[in-house]
Amino acid sequence: MMLDVDGLSHQYGTERAVSDVSFELAEGELVALLGPSGCGKTTIVQAIAGHITPTAGRISLRGTDVTNITPENREVGIVFQQSTLYPHMTVAENVAYGLGARDIEPRRREAIVTEYLELVDLADQRESYPVALSGGEKRRGELARALAPEPDVLLLDEPLSALDRTLRLRLRDEIARIQREAGVTTLFVTHDQEEAMSLADRLVVLQEGHLSAVGEPRALYQSPPNRFVASFLGRTNTLSATLVDRDPPTIEIGSTAVVVRDPPDGIETTQPTAHIRPDAVTVDATDTPETEITLLGVVQSVSDIGNRYDIHVQLASGDTLVAERKHFPLAVGDQVSVGFDQRDLVVLAGPASDSE
Amino acid sequence: MSLRRRASSVVTSRSVPELLVPGVLGGLLVVFVAVPFVTFLSRTGSVPLAGTLAQPATQTAIRNSVLTAPVSTAIATLFGVPLAYVLARGSFRGKRVVEALVVLPLIVPPVVGGAMLLTAVGRFTPIGMFAVRLGIPLTDSLVGVILAQTFVAAPFVVITARAGFGAIDERLEQVSRSLGYGPVATFWNVSLPLARGSILAGVVLTFARAIGEFGATLMVAYNPRTMPTRLWVDFISGGIDAIVPVAVTLLGIALLVVAAIQRVATAPTVIDQ
Repeated sequence: MMLDVDGLSHQYGTERAVSDVSFELAEGELVALLGPSGCGKTTIVQAIAGHITPTAGRISLRGTDVTNITPENREVGIVFQQSTLYPHMTVAENVAYGLGARDIEPRRREAIVTEYLELVDLADQRESYPVALSGGEKRRGELARALAPEPDVLLLDEPLSALDRTLRLRLRDEIARIQREAGVTTLFVTHDQEEAMSLADRLVVLQEGHLSAVGEPRALYQSPPNRFVASFLGRTNTLSATLVDRDPPTIEIGSTAVVVRDPPDGIETTQPTAHIRPDAVTVDATDTPETEITLLGVVQSVSDIGNRYDIHVQLASGDTLVAERKHFPLAVGDQVSVGFDQRDLVVLAGPASDSE
Repeated sequence: MSLRRRASSVVTSRSVPELLVPGVLGGLLVVFVAVPFVTFLSRTGSVPLAGTLAQPATQTAIRNSVLTAPVSTAIATLFGVPLAYVLARGSFRGKRVVEALVVLPLIVPPVVGGAMLLTAVGRFTPIGMFAVRLGIPLTDSLVGVILAQTFVAAPFVVITARAGFGAIDERLEQVSRSLGYGPVATFWNVSLPLARGSILAGVVLTFARAIGEFGATLMVAYNPRTMPTRLWVDFISGGIDAIVPVAVTLLGIALLVVAAIQRVATAPTVIDQ
């Protein structure tokens, strides 16, 4: 493993920021560390880079324990949310800076600087000072500076969060290309699930300092292992369900009994919940059960998003549900039937009210 | 028609009196400072400048000041800048006490500061006696002058440099570490160049304070005379007109050094943010 984070915990004073987090990055992999603001992402980045010494746990690079090694003796490149290009150096000097700490002869250094400036498409701004660069150019300059010494791991701490949307999307693709071409093992930290899912080979999801899930984006999206992942990776509807049989585990939603295919741990002892993505839900005027599960409700409100309608339905059971539809000929207050298929349903253990 | 006139009157009424009130208040202060300055300098015509400056006693005083003030400034900078960095970056027990100590010489009247120095390094204290035995007396000597000037003037460079270091995003230093530089190299390559403007401003203030230092110097080293102590002697014996030549010289030297440092500070700077 290129990077191995093992049982990492960190405490600021009495406040616990990270609790027993473990994950690993294989060589060349791009992994997103995903979680809402304040969930401990930056603490983990700081621990990997060596700018804080964790309260407990181990960080290893290429199989070597580096937990107590100073930042300058780890091969870790880092790019922060805010620009950290040195204002008193030109772009080329910034990129050459990390090479200066290593035994590289000046001519070779020049060649490396040129190579990386070309990689990030910033060769024309070589002699500019950072003040003269746009937001996106600064980002690319920092990527070049971080990559030039060929670090074992590149840490990108919310690198796109300070940019406007258009630039963010463009730079997201740029980062994917640069990462692919440089082949560098990358940990991409973000609170934006869309960004994480579109870039990463794997996701590491954090919730309040705890590891919530690790896995491939699509797998986590389609079968989230817990309620947090279900709601954090895209929108989801939570429906209350009742366990009606233990063998095989069967739940009842509305008046339909559903056999749970992959019963989660603890389903026998806690009240289960069922989760369904808004785009998997149909809404029809009459009771035409084309779908396996059908519930009755009343249209509460309809938002026109432009390319679709978000339809909020108050179900007879008391739950509310959102459906995404391309067409919606009905009006607020209409009686509707809401349908979805069993394969789109994710059943999780635990009551509906514990956490969002 | 009436609408347009109203619109234009809004524009003109905004452009002129916006700074009127602070301008008048600030202007009064400028006048208050400028008037004594001008009236004092206007005396130069009626005083034999060259004659006074040719006197050996005056020349010695000028030489002593020009020798000691840069040394005091250098000492304050050499030790004050690292202290400023520690105060800006570190968190440790007793930091508040250190911070209070740093500004103490600004609060204590210089004469009292001088008295404090005397109790620590005076002729009859252990440190003072030891220094005399080594042949470098710490009072009534140029060393004593430097001690007094440094004590009083050092806070300026510490406080301004600290503000300069504090304004640097710590992540710029973290990136330098991650790029392979140790803490000392990072300080030289990143922190020091970025805080340069603040440090030089502090050096200017410290120098200006050191070369004009009177109260503490009076206590610690009344002899040998510096320009400020010479001014006092001249004033006692000859009144205001007697001090004009040395005062003007002191002012000239101070302005020259401040201008020179500021020129150095601004010339090659690319970071005007």
